[in-house]
Amino acid sequence: MKEQLLAILTEAIPGVDFETETALVEDEILESLDIVTIVSEIKDAFDVEISVDDLIPENFNTVEAMLALIQARKD
Amino acid sequence: MSFTTLPFLVLVVLSVAIYYLLPHRVQWAALLGASMIFYWVGGGKTVLYVFYTAVTVYAAGRLLGHYNDLRRAAPKEEKKALSAKYKPYRQAVVLVTCLANFVLLYLLKYWNFTADLLQPLADVLSPGTTLPLSELILPLGISFFMFQSIGYVIDVYRDKYPPEKNFAKLLLFVSFFPQMVQGPISRFDQLAPQLLAPRKLDFTNLKYGIQLVMWGYFKKMVIADRAAVLVNTVLNDPWSHSGSIIAVGVLFYCIQLYGDFSGGIDITRGVAQLFGIDLAENFRRPLFSTSLTDFWRRWHITLGAWMRDYLFYPLSLSKPFGKLGKFTRKHIKGKLGKIIPTSLATFIIYFVIGIWHGANWRYVAFGFWNGTIITLSLLLAPQFLRWKQALHIKDQSKGWHLFQLVRTNLLVFLGRYITRAPRFLTAVWMMKETLLHPNLPDLYNGTLLTLGLGKGDFLLLFCGVAVMLTAEWFQETRGHIRPALEQRSPFVQWLAILVPLAVLFCFGVLRADYISSDFIYKQF
Amino acid sequence: MTSKQWLALFLATLLLLGACVLGFNYWVDPFGVFNHTSLEWSSYEMTRNPRTAKMTYLEDHHQEYDSYLLGCSSTSSFPVESLNKYLDARFYNMIMYGADMLDVESQAVYLLEHYEVKNLVVNVYLDNARDYNTLPDPARSYAMPPETTGENPAAFFADYLFMDPRLSFDKLKAMRADTILTQPFDVFNPETGAYDKTVRDAESVGNLDHYLENYPVFANYPPAHNTTIEAAVTGTLDSLTHIRDLCAQKGVNFLVLCAPVYADYMAYYDWDQVKEFYTRLAQVTPYWDFSYSSVSFEPRYFYDETHFRNCVGEMALARVFGDDSRYIPEDFGVYVTADTVQEHLETMMQASPLPAERYTAEVPVLMYHHIDQNGDDSTNITPELFEAQIAALAQAGYTAVFPDDLAAYVNTGKALPEKPVVITFDDGYLSNYTYAWPILEKYGMVATFFMVGSTTGNTDHYKDTSHPITPHFSFAQGAEMVASGTISLQSHTYDMHQWAPYESTDQPRENILPLAGESEEAYRAVLAEDCQKIRQAIEEGTGEERVHVLAYPSGRYNTLAQVSLLENGFDITFTTEVGTNTLIKGQPQSLLGLHRYNMNEAVSVDQMMSWVSPARG
Repeated sequence: MKEQLLAILTEAIPGVDFETETALVEDEILESLDIVTIVSEIKDAFDVEISVDDLIPENFNTVEAMLALIQARKD
Repeated sequence: MSFTTLPFLVLVVLSVAIYYLLPHRVQWAALLGASMIFYWVGGGKTVLYVFYTAVTVYAAGRLLGHYNDLRRAAPKEEKKALSAKYKPYRQAVVLVTCLANFVLLYLLKYWNFTADLLQPLADVLSPGTTLPLSELILPLGISFFMFQSIGYVIDVYRDKYPPEKNFAKLLLFVSFFPQMVQGPISRFDQLAPQLLAPRKLDFTNLKYGIQLVMWGYFKKMVIADRAAVLVNTVLNDPWSHSGSIIAVGVLFYCIQLYGDFSGGIDITRGVAQLFGIDLAENFRRPLFSTSLTDFWRRWHITLGAWMRDYLFYPLSLSKPFGKLGKFTRKHIKGKLGKIIPTSLATFIIYFVIGIWHGANWRYVAFGFWNGTIITLSLLLAPQFLRWKQALHIKDQSKGWHLFQLVRTNLLVFLGRYITRAPRFLTAVWMMKETLLHPNLPDLYNGTLLTLGLGKGDFLLLFCGVAVMLTAEWFQETRGHIRPALEQRSPFVQWLAILVPLAVLFCFGVLRADYISSDFIYKQF
Repeated sequence: MTSKQWLALFLATLLLLGACVLGFNYWVDPFGVFNHTSLEWSSYEMTRNPRTAKMTYLEDHHQEYDSYLLGCSSTSSFPVESLNKYLDARFYNMIMYGADMLDVESQAVYLLEHYEVKNLVVNVYLDNARDYNTLPDPARSYAMPPETTGENPAAFFADYLFMDPRLSFDKLKAMRADTILTQPFDVFNPETGAYDKTVRDAESVGNLDHYLENYPVFANYPPAHNTTIEAAVTGTLDSLTHIRDLCAQKGVNFLVLCAPVYADYMAYYDWDQVKEFYTRLAQVTPYWDFSYSSVSFEPRYFYDETHFRNCVGEMALARVFGDDSRYIPEDFGVYVTADTVQEHLETMMQASPLPAERYTAEVPVLMYHHIDQNGDDSTNITPELFEAQIAALAQAGYTAVFPDDLAAYVNTGKALPEKPVVITFDDGYLSNYTYAWPILEKYGMVATFFMVGSTTGNTDHYKDTSHPITPHFSFAQGAEMVASGTISLQSHTYDMHQWAPYESTDQPRENILPLAGESEEAYRAVLAEDCQKIRQAIEEGTGEERVHVLAYPSGRYNTLAQVSLLENGFDITFTTEVGTNTLIKGQPQSLLGLHRYNMNEAVSVDQMMSWVSPARG
C-alpha cells in the first residue's frame, strides 16, 4: 500500500523525498491543489471515501499520516 | 470609524486601559463593549446587521451542536445510522444559515448590480417596470464578519469544535472591532479562546503591539495616502493622461493598495496584540511571490484559506466533480486528464474571489484574469517543465527566481489595471494606451509633478517604499526584525521610537493633499 | 531595555512630540490669539481671523484709537482717514469678513466696556438681514475671541494649541514669501484695520469693456435667485438696538451706515422683504442709506459683487459730513429716519444707472517728443507739421487741458470743455521751448512737458560726460514757460531715464522698473528719493505749483512702481499705450496709466483728427 501511495505522490509532485518529510503541508510542499489531486487519486486507487472533514494538515503532513487516514477510512 | 481618526485611537487606548483593569473573568466584556461602540459610532444602526449574523450563526451552532451531541452520546453500533439520519437536518441548518446571511449580503452588496443587468430583461418582459434599487447602507466590514461567521457554522457542522453557548461571547467573535475594517477573516477555534482568555498586563505585548501599529500607520498614512493622491488624479480621469503616466498611476495604485491593506492589517494585529491577542497573518510579503498562486497564498491569506477550506475542498470533493474526474481520466490520457476537475474548481474559486471584492464587471474580469492565468499555468505545467529542461534552467538558480518574481509582479500589476479602472473597458483601453501611446518623455519632462504630488512627496514615497521593501527583504531572508533591534543600544532603540513617531507625525498626520492657501478673502 | 522601560520611553517621546506641537503652535500663533510678540505679524494673523487678531492687536494699541468702525467686510471701504478728518477722531476699522450683527454686538460691547470710545460707526449691510448667529467654515477663521463672547477661554485656547501645526508652518512659509505688495496671506493693514488695498487701488481703471475683462465676476453675473431674509432680521435689529442703547448710555456718538450694494446682487433679494428690513431698521435708529443708487449699477465702483471700492466710501463719507469739495452722485446717500423711511424706500427702489455722459468723459492724449527739421526719427516731428496739427485741433474746436483739469473732473466733478484734448511732450527737449511753446501760445493751447531732472539744461553733453546730446531746456526756460500759464512741467523722473551707453554704471536705470536683483526696500527708497528730487527741482526751479503727474519713461511700469508712485504723491500717470481714455467721476483710478497717441512726422493731420474725435460707443 505504501509503495502505491508513494507512486501516486511522486507522480503528482516530482522531486520530493516523501519518506523523510514530516511537515508536507505546513512547509507548503503540498498545496491545496496537490492535496485535492492526491485525494482524488487515493479515492480511486484504494476505493475509499475521503470527506472534506479529513482535509486537515495533520492528515497530510507525512506519508504515515496519509496511510493512517486511508486505513481508517477503509475500516 | 477609520483607523486614521482620533476617535479610533481614543477607543483603543480606553479599551486597553479598561481591559486590564477589569477582573479577569469579565475582561472579554471590555472587548465586546469596545466593539459595540466601534460599530455604533462607525455605522450607527447597521450594528443590527452584526446582531442578525450573530443570532443566525448562534442558533445554527447550537442546533448543529445538539445533533453532534446526540450522535456522540449514541452507542457505537448506532452511530452510523444516526449520522445518516441527521445528515439532512444538519445540512439543512448549514444551508439555511448560509442563505440567511449570503442573501442579505447579496441584497446589500450585489443587488443593484444585478438589477442594472436585469433591467433590459424587465423592460422586455413587462415594459414600464423599474427594478427597485437598494438604498441600504453597506455595513462596515460585512464581508469579513459574515465569512468569519459562516466558517464557524461549517466548522461546527464538521464537528471540529463544540458551539459557543454564550451568545455574548459569540457576538464578540463576530464583531471583534480591530478586524472590522480590513479583516483578517479569523477562525473561531483560533480566535475565540484568545478573546475569552483571562490576561495579565504584559508589557512586551504592549510594546510589540504599539510597534506593529506604528508600522501599519507608516504604510497607510505615509505611503498609501500619499500615493493615493497621484492615483486619484490619474486614474479617476485616465483619458487626460498618456500611456506612461497611466502605467505610473497603476504602479502607484499597487503601492497604495499594498500599503493601505497590509498597513491596515498591521494596525489590526497590533491593536489585537495590545489585548494579548494574536490574529492570523494576512500578508506574507507578496512582493516576493514566485507565481500567481504563490501571490494568493501571501496576499489576503485568510480569504484564500477560507475559500480553500469552505469552498475549494468541498467543491473538489463533491460528487459532480468526482464524476467529472472519472470522466476526464478515462478520456484524456496523462496528467491533463487528472487535473481538469481541479483546474475547474480553481477557476471557480478565483472567480468568486473576484466577485468577493465588489459588485462590478471589473471584479468579474479580475476573477477571470486570475482564474485564467492560474488554470492555464496548471494545465500547461508539463509543457513548461519540458521547456525548462530544454533550456537547462535550474530551479534553485537566482536568475530563475528573479525571473519568477518579475513575472509574477508584472501579472499582478496588469491585474490592477482591471480593478482600478473606472470601467472594465477603460482598463482594456488603458493597457492599450500604455503599450501603444506611452509618450515616454512624460516620465521626465515634469509632467509627473503636475499630478498632485510635489518633489518632496515623491522623495518621501521613494524612501518610504525603500524602507518597507528593505524591512520585508530582511524578514524574507533573515527573519524577525524586532529581536535584532532589541540587541542594539538604548539610544538606537529610542531613535527607533522617535524617528517613526516624528515621521508619522510630520508626513502622515500632515497629509499630502493638504491645501494650505485656504484664506477667506480672495479679492486682495 | 525591558519592555516596561521601552513603553515609558515611548510615552515620554510621544509627550515630547506633543509638547513640541503645542509649543510650535503657541510660538507661531497664526491666528493671533495669544498675545505675545514673538513672530508677530498682525496683517497675516488678521487675514487668518480678523476677529481674534484685531482684538489681540488692540490690547497693545487701543490707546492709539478713540473711535471704531464695525461691520462685515464691505465696511473696509469706508476709509478711516476720511472719518478721522471729518470727526477729528482716531478710528480703527474692526471689519470682520462674514460678520453678522451678533459678532458686531459682541465686539461693540467689549470695546465700549474696555476702551475709551468717542464714536462708534456700524455698517449694516444687506447680508445682515440674511445671516445672524452663523459660524461658517473654517470655524477658526470666523471664531470670536472668548473675551467678547463669554465662551470658556480654556476650550478656546486649547483649540488653537492643539490645531494642525501645518497652519503654523504656513505662516513661516508665508513669512519667507512675503513682499511689500499685498499677498493673499496678508490682506489687512494692521494700523487702520482695513483691507490693504494698495495694489487694487493703484490699478488703472477706465474703459468698461476692459474692466469687465479684468473682473469677470461682473460680466457673467450668476443668475438671480431668491434670498430669504426674514429669519435674521429680528436678531440683527435686536443686536443693533443693544449697541444703540449702550452707546447712548455711555455718551458715545453712534452712527449707522448702510453700505452700497451692487445692483445685480440686490436682485437676489425679495424687495418686499428688503423694504420691510429697512423700515424696521429705521424704527431702531436713523441711518445713512447708500445701499441702492446709481452707484450700484457701475461695476467700476466695486472690487467684486459684495465689496464697493474705497473711492466710493470716500464719496459716501463726504455726503454724510457735507463735504462739498468732492464729487458725489446726486442720488447717492440719504439720511433716513423713521418718519422718512417709507418715502425714501419708494424713491430708492426706483434707482437707475446714470447716463454715461453724466459721469464719464473720453479724453484723448497726444504724446510728442522732439521737434526738429529732421523729422525722420520715430519720435521726431517737424515744426511745420506740429503747427498744422495744433491749428487743425483749434479749428475743430478742441480745447487743450492740463492733467489737473482731468483731476478736477474726476475728483470734484468740475466739467471739462466739450472737446478736451491733452497735449504732452516727453524728455524736456529744448525744441519744446523753442518751437512748441510759441506755436501753442499762438493757437491758445496748453500742454504738459514731462522733463527728466538730471538732463535739464544739458545743451551739449549728456550729464557730465563728453557724449553729445540733443539739447534740453533749462530750469530758467522752464520757469518762463510756467509763468506764461501755457505750460505745465511735470515729471519724467529725476534720473530714471538714463541712456545706457553713456552711463558708467553696470546697471543703468533706463526706466522706472526695479533693477534685476534689486530688493523691494532698496527700490522703493530709490524711487521715493527720485520723486522727491524731481518734485523739488521742478517746483523750486520753475515755480510750477504742484508736481504730481508722471509719464513713465519708455512707458514701462509694474505694480510695485504704480503703488510706490501713488504713495509718493503721483496720482496721475501716463503710459505709452495707445488709445483714448475714459475718466470716471469719483473714480480717481481713471487718472492712472493714461493712454497716449504717439505723434511724429508720420502722423498726418487727418490721422490725428480721426484719433481724437470722440468715438463713443
